[in-house]
Order: sequence, then structure tokens, then C-alpha cells
Amino acid sequence: MKPARVMLVDDTPSRSALLEQALLDQGLTVVCRLESAQGLIKNVEVHQPDIIIMDLESPDRDTLENMTVLNQHNPKPVIMFSDEEDSKIISQAVQAGVSAYIVDGLNPHRVKPILDVAIARFREYQALRKELKQTRDQLADRKIIDKAKGLLMKTKGLDEEQAYHTMRKMAMDQSKPLADIAQNILSVMELLTP
Amino acid sequence: MNGAEVERRALKLGYMPLSDCLPLLVAQQEGFFEKEGLEVELLQEVSWSNIRDKVIVGHLDGAHILAPMILASSIGLGGLKKSLITAFSLGLNGNALTVSNTLHSELFELNSREFDQASNMKRLIEQRKAKGLPALVFATVYPYSCHNLQLRYWLASVGIDPDKDIELVILPPSQMVDHLKLQHIDGFLAGAPWNSVAILQGHGHCLLTGVDIWQDAPEKVLGVTLEWAEKNPNTHYALIRALYNACAWLEDNAALALPLLEQHLSLNSPLIDQECLIPAITGDYIFDNNQLQSKAPGILIFNRFMANFPWLSHGQLICSQMKRWHWLPQDIDSEALVASCYRPDIYRQAFSSLGSEDITLPSDNFNQQHLALL
Repeated sequence: MKPARVMLVDDTPSRSALLEQALLDQGLTVVCRLESAQGLIKNVEVHQPDIIIMDLESPDRDTLENMTVLNQHNPKPVIMFSDEEDSKIISQAVQAGVSAYIVDGLNPHRVKPILDVAIARFREYQALRKELKQTRDQLADRKIIDKAKGLLMKTKGLDEEQAYHTMRKMAMDQSKPLADIAQNILSVMELLTP
Repeated sequence: MNGAEVERRALKLGYMPLSDCLPLLVAQQEGFFEKEGLEVELLQEVSWSNIRDKVIVGHLDGAHILAPMILASSIGLGGLKKSLITAFSLGLNGNALTVSNTLHSELFELNSREFDQASNMKRLIEQRKAKGLPALVFATVYPYSCHNLQLRYWLASVGIDPDKDIELVILPPSQMVDHLKLQHIDGFLAGAPWNSVAILQGHGHCLLTGVDIWQDAPEKVLGVTLEWAEKNPNTHYALIRALYNACAWLEDNAALALPLLEQHLSLNSPLIDQECLIPAITGDYIFDNNQLQSKAPGILIFNRFMANFPWLSHGQLICSQMKRWHWLPQDIDSEALVASCYRPDIYRQAFSSLGSEDITLPSDNFNQQHLALL
């Protein structure tokens, strides 16, 4: 059995690189990676993929859907899942942001593992993005807190521990995150400073 | 709030950033959802395929959706097979055909007095063919859309074969203007505001509006799955009433909704400003950047002329055209398909407790005039 030929359309290169590697590890062939639907139809003709995986958030999806109409009478791309039975995996795919189109003839049993990999990688990417954002937010929070602390030390003549303790107490009393308190302090001080 | 208690209060509704999504935005802003006991979250989507898939898998309770998509999905055309229904039309018309400046001048050089540009288009296509020039390229927004059906209808009216004599492509509405500017396409048939964007930026001329092709045309509808409708009848009625009230409000206050529309449409499109939203919403249409505006009051209708009624005849019109282009099997029972997707019974039920002074309901579910153009 020849390895399935996969084409990826995703405007996030780092994500599609991640997915490509995972598919290669599974012994699949990634015939083409596109960042937009520009030249999509031509690329499908040239590369003859068995399955096309596309980012759900791409507005170019409707362009790809048209191929299913254009090629209705030819053994060409058709959207997958014509049955309702796979609804769970479809739901997972939609959740993860994956859409997939199979070319007529690819056995549904061979589709599922490919889709599973795609879903897993898209999720992993989502998680990475989230983690990165959290780290960035934490760093930004850290900066704000340090700045507010410095300001309190300067204006109130507190030492570092006292300044931190004051903010901490305010955060607990008002049940607000420490970074919000720090931001408030900075805003108020800015207002009061001529 | 009237009627029985809703089964679901919190709803997620999807929409595409186009002028005819306004009833949803207005129902939210003016509190019409709230009045019906609904808490609605509106989610902007990037493609019609997404809208369809998210409604089908239940990530959305319902959506602003292309009328032909309801029929297509119900028989599994081009995607997942799932029974979708509509019991509410979000309005009538809204589309227009805009061509590039080059194509426009070529057409008018042939015959500037010809009102019906279709025959000019045919002559031009024949001339291009004789000269060995590439086929003209036209774009619409989705294969199973009234845009596509209207363009095909118009071309075929003078014997242009849309599958052979021109090239038809699908592009997201927000990319139409750029592709026209870059001469990747010679024209497009899309909804508001994209024609006005192209015209005001000087990249194209509006050749005709959708109304010139089909009068009182179906366009976007509220789409839900049959399963959802059966599980949540009272919620569905409440949703229909809320959207009806929003549409009625828009009929008198459309201009007031411009900032709201701008706010939502400009989220992902730097090309959108209030100026380009005005023509379709107010009916002071601009067909050509060098000309004065003309009155085109019926270009996008939100409520009058019983615009919100889910006419079986609209379903039939769409079905007949989908059959014409061999998208539906020739032996399909159109009446049964339409009856399973278009649900005037639900619309009537939603207003059953209201008096005739509050809402006009047609005596028949079928309007023969819709099929007059067949």
C-alpha cells in the first residue's frame, strides 16, 4: 500500500511544519504545503494529493469547497465525511480548527489516523500558543508589579518587602490579581504626579 | 417576552461580516433577544463552510447562512449530510454585479446605449474567443449561493454557458476588491458592502444589481439543524420573534445602525468604513464613482414585503436552479426537499399569539410571483 499523499493549507507556517513532521513520522507523504489558496486548484492538479488538510480559520475554505462542485463528475476532490456516523471526530476536528477534504477513492480507514494526527498537532499548537501567551503575560505582570513596587518605595519611603506586602494585602482585601492592583497604583500615581 | 418558556437561554449564533447580518447585530444591541429571554453570543466566522460545519456539529445553535446551503446540506451536497432548516428569512436581495474598469469600458464601447448589458457581454465573449483571448473570469462567494445562481441565470439568459464560456471562481467576499484591482478577475457578484467598496475605491463599476436579475430574491436565512429545532421549539420561536423585531426596527432606522455595522465589519477588514456601508443600507446607491447616486430602495430589504417569511416558492426557485446546473439529481423530488427545509409552519407558530395588527402573515406559503422568472 502506497503512503497517502497529504497536502497542507495553513497560513501559520510553524503549525504546518509541526504537522508535516508528525505526518512524516507516520510514514505519510506530504506533497505540498501552501500558505493560502492562491494557486490551490493548480497545486491540487500538479501534486494529486489524496487528502487536503486545511486550517478552519482560513477564509479560503470556500474556494476549496468549490472544487467539490467543479469536479463532481470526475474522480476529484470531494469533502470527507458524507455519513453522519463520524460526527464525533468531525466535532473534534472543528474544535481543534482542522478541516479536511479527501480525494475520491481514499479509504475512510486511512483517513482517520491522518485526521487524528492533524487534530492532535493543532491542539498541541493551540496549547503551545496558550502557554506562550501565559508566559508573556506573566512577564508583563512582573514588570508592572516591580514598577509599582519601586514607586511605592520611592513615594512612601517603604523598603522592598513592605512595599510588596502592602500591595499583596490590597490584592487580598479587594480579591483582585496583584498585577491589577499594581496597575491601579501606577495609574493613580501618574494622575497625581504633576 | 411572550410565549412559553425557552428551553435554552444561552445561544451562540454565527454570522459572516456582511451588511445583511445586521438583523443579528441589531437584535443584540437593541435588546430584542433579551426581551425574548435569550442570552445570545454572536460569533463572527470567516467562511460559509465554517458556518455550516459549526451549525451541523452543534458548536453554533444557529447562523446567518446562505439559503441554498440549507438545501445543499440537507442532501449532503459538498459536505456533511445533515438536515438543516430555515423558518426565517433575514431579508431580500442585497447582491450586485461589479465589473472591472477595463471590462466596463469594453462593454460600453460596444454599445453605450444598450441597457441590458447581457447581450453586450455575449458579443464581447464571442469577440474574445475569436481573437484567442483567455476567457473572462467572474467570482462569486460560494458554490451553493444565490450569488452563483443569479450570475448563471443572467449569463444564460443570453445564451452564455457559465461552465464553458467564462471561468467561474469562488473567493471570500473580503478578497473580491483586491482580486479585481489586481485583474485576477474581471467581475464579481457578491453582497453588500463589497460592490460599494470596489466602486468607491475606483476599481470597478456596478453593472447591475441582484434585483435586476431576480426581484424579491431570497438571500440569507436563519439556519438551524432540524434536530435543534425539534429539541428547542420555544427557543426557536423566541429567536424568530427577536429577529423579526430587529428587521422591523431596521426598516425605519437602518441609518442608525451604520456605526454598529461598521464596528463589526471592520474588525477583520481594513477596507471597510461607514461610507461604503451607506449605499445598500440607505438605498442611495452609487453605481459608478464618477456618477451621482441613484435611488435603489429595494437593493437590500430587511422587513417590508413580507421579507422575513420563509416562502416555499423561494425554496422552489433555488431548487429549480440547482437542478438546472445539474447540482441536484434530475429525478429529485423538489417539493419534498423544499418542504423539509423551508418551514413556514414554524414561522406562523412563532407569531400565533400575536394579532393581525402586529404582523402580516400571508394566506398562502407559496408566492407564484417568485417563480415567474422560470
